Amino acid sequence: MLKGHLDAIVLAALEAGPAHGYAIIETIKSRSASTFDLPEGTVYPALHRLEEGGLLSSTWTTPPNGRRRRVYSLTKAGSAALADRRKAWGRFSQAVDTLLKGGRAWPA
Amino acid sequence: MAGVIDQYVASLRRELDFDPALARRLASEVESHLRDAAEADPVWPSVEAEQRAVERFGLARGIAAEFAADAVDRQARRTWITLAITVLVTFVAMRLRVIWLDDGAVSALAPLVDRYAFIAAIAVGVIGWFAFRRSLLAPAICLAGLAASIAAGIVRAGLFADGAPPHVLLAAAGEIALVGLLSFHVVGLGRRLRRTAVLRGVGR
Repeated sequence: MLKGHLDAIVLAALEAGPAHGYAIIETIKSRSASTFDLPEGTVYPALHRLEEGGLLSSTWTTPPNGRRRRVYSLTKAGSAALADRRKAWGRFSQAVDTLLKGGRAWPA
Repeated sequence: MAGVIDQYVASLRRELDFDPALARRLASEVESHLRDAAEADPVWPSVEAEQRAVERFGLARGIAAEFAADAVDRQARRTWITLAITVLVTFVAMRLRVIWLDDGAVSALAPLVDRYAFIAAIAVGVIGWFAFRRSLLAPAICLAGLAASIAAGIVRAGLFADGAPPHVLLAAAGEIALVGLLSFHVVGLGRRLRRTAVLRGVGR
């Protein structure tokens, strides 16, 4: 189930600012209190897919410790897609929440 | 002797052999990720820290399968776009031939193949687009239908004979070029579908 929402989760993880793959995974883990303990590699196909779709851009950087990293950031289209997915998720989760709370029987 | 991370990165590169550019880019990116992860491990520096980083990352084959599935989607999109353009150009070229040339009457079969192979290609294409967009069969049948229709159209109009107007010849050349491009995309789609099946353990 989580896999279907991975793209939106990755977009949300990048909302605060540009980050590389390892930092994105750590953000997802910490913000979900380790509920989403995905195999870390699964984030890379999502990053690549989102970049191909124009929702992310990326660039190689070399920080002071010398390790070369690819850093991803949201594009304008990515921010708009995240807003759309948030709205859709809000409607969906509200509907499921309402159903799970139960209700009155259908009037006979 | 290569370390655990080096071995993992090498195996990922092998699994991604269907896209060498992606394999190169990802190898560098994944190596940096794994070294960050290993260094964050409490038992760093040790082989155990590298092993744990690799285990948390997931199987190289599974990650390559995800990339291969995405590559199928992209290739299917390219194939269907090329198919649509080929249908359009073939239709225009057919009309041009009818307007500007008499039937060469080389074969009684040619007009039938020209028309019905084209109609069959469109019918299969429409069904394929709505129901089997990621399959190889629908675009392959469309390709065969279009190729047969174009060949029959060229024979029918006697384009090999002298005197055909340049724009009719140009349209026919465009059809042939597009069928070539479509063949290239269909073959590419087949290759990516097979690779995805192998990586997912359902093919050879």
